[in-house]
Amino acid sequence: VSGPKFSLVLLMSLVLASQFFIFETFAEASKDVAVLALTGAEGVVVSAYQAVLRAEEAGANVSGLLVRLNEAGGFLARSRIAYDLGDFEEAAGLANSSRNIGVEAENAAVELKDSAFFERMQRMWFMMIGSIFGVVLVSLGSFWVWRVFKRRYYRRVLGMKPEVSSDGS
Amino acid sequence: MDLEDYRTVFAAGSLVLVLIAAAPTLGLIVPFSSGGERFSEFWVLGSNHMAEDYPFNVRVDESYNVFVGVGNHMGVSSYYLVYVKFRNQTQTLPNATISEPSPLAPLYEFRAFVKDGGTWEARVTFIFSDVSFNGDSVSVNRVIINDEAFAVGAFSRWDSEHNGFYYQLFFELWLYNVASQSFRFHNRFVGIWLNMTRQLLYVEA
Repeated sequence: VSGPKFSLVLLMSLVLASQFFIFETFAEASKDVAVLALTGAEGVVVSAYQAVLRAEEAGANVSGLLVRLNEAGGFLARSRIAYDLGDFEEAAGLANSSRNIGVEAENAAVELKDSAFFERMQRMWFMMIGSIFGVVLVSLGSFWVWRVFKRRYYRRVLGMKPEVSSDGS
Repeated sequence: MDLEDYRTVFAAGSLVLVLIAAAPTLGLIVPFSSGGERFSEFWVLGSNHMAEDYPFNVRVDESYNVFVGVGNHMGVSSYYLVYVKFRNQTQTLPNATISEPSPLAPLYEFRAFVKDGGTWEARVTFIFSDVSFNGDSVSVNRVIINDEAFAVGAFSRWDSEHNGFYYQLFFELWLYNVASQSFRFHNRFVGIWLNMTRQLLYVEA
């Protein structure tokens, strides 16, 4: 094989091989992007779920947040499936959608928890004041009723006349 | 009844009234257990949303529907993962005795957040495609679940006892554990048996 021809063949082979390597590199890169997106989304959704649990514990109504979390979970599940099927671009897109909803849900859960905590504290203060007031009222009321009762009791006892028994003693 | 007896009755009555008045505050301080067993329900329903009319004799390229559902009675909102798996008669099912899930890879998955006392349900549409019959064996090479195609390569031999080529589509329930920060098999699975049948061709006489 002459020099120029060999060089041409070599050059073409290198060009073809480089296409393959470029494709492989892009595939690997998009796989890495998908893995990162999926891992990030899973972390955000779990973090949002934990924030929702804290809000629930504080006494908040979390029904609306669970609807948002279910949307995030739906995207996450579809992302996982797309990844398993080798559709890394789709997987990354869905994971990012899941992540965005998860971030929103987490922020909303934190706000809801704070407002629920404030409401709970307010309610607690009202209850405590009400209870203390009730206890004092009941105590004073009982004491007053007891005094009235005792006075009447003594009056009744002192007003009794001695009776003579039938045997004359 | 003398005055001492009356005093005792009064003291007891007053104490009861004081406790009633203090009950709301005591409720905030003393934790009362909600009681009851904590568990999750897991079910699969037929195409009419009832525990009947489950797909059984299935054919290639035909679409079938079931509904999978979860009921949460865990005392808090829970994060569930439902895996959809497909197996032949010889492949392993989950082992409920030792809380071991099936080693088979899941084909499809659902993630659900369910409030305590609430339920979640999803439709599962499945189609078998690329099925090859060869004498007393059949190979299902592809299952489409909710419009996503999965390569399975599930092989089944003719079951002469029950007259069919049997497969099982089953669902495993996993629960997110906050303490371990991971999903754990929740020891519940449901499934439906499927008999893969040939497409019958009717030729007019």
